[in-house]
Amino acid sequence: MGRVLAAVGIVLLFVLNLALPYTPLGRRGSDTQLHFDVPGARGELGQLLPAFTLLDLEGSPVRISDFRGKRVLLTFERSIDW
Amino acid sequence: MKRSYLFLCWTCGVGFLLIGLWLCFAALQSRGPDAASILPFPLGPQGYYFVAFSGCALIAWGGCLVGAARGHGSRAIGTATAVGLVLAALFRMLFWFLGDLAWMGNVLRAEAAVLLLLALAFVWLRPARAAEPL
Repeated sequence: MGRVLAAVGIVLLFVLNLALPYTPLGRRGSDTQLHFDVPGARGELGQLLPAFTLLDLEGSPVRISDFRGKRVLLTFERSIDW
Repeated sequence: MKRSYLFLCWTCGVGFLLIGLWLCFAALQSRGPDAASILPFPLGPQGYYFVAFSGCALIAWGGCLVGAARGHGSRAIGTATAVGLVLAALFRMLFWFLGDLAWMGNVLRAEAAVLLLLALAFVWLRPARAAEPL
């Protein structure tokens, strides 16, 4: 009996694993990671960026408003830490 | 001699189980929001992926040792290995869902599928109690 129950549980997990991309859980799968929206941060050409503050490499806060009137290049990179 | 051997199996098994549980908990806890690492060194998602796998392997290994110490023989090996494989598959599904290892694509789900099939084989082919010892 225990063997059958364990086997059924494993089979159910196997089916869930196969079905993951097609379930509501799958919306966070492999293809969707680069498409997220920061609330209020959907910028358009010709419009001002919303105010935001980030930390520099020394941990000091940097406000985007500090660069008003200057040319700013924003890049987004994933970290490669292990 | 045999008593000291069984004692060695039991103590090492329990130690491995505890360390494995700790590593699995650390991997789970690291993926939570605003979670501070409980490990003494900084790790990223890839590091915690391997921490989780090491934890699952230690749980399986510890389970085998404890089972051997309790005289359960090869049945304990099948059970403990199946538990470790299922845990490892669950962690792969979790990491796929969280998307931290999105660059791996569906490799995580493929690995989970293989691990679950192996776990199913270990459970299904496990000898009955009367069949001991192999």
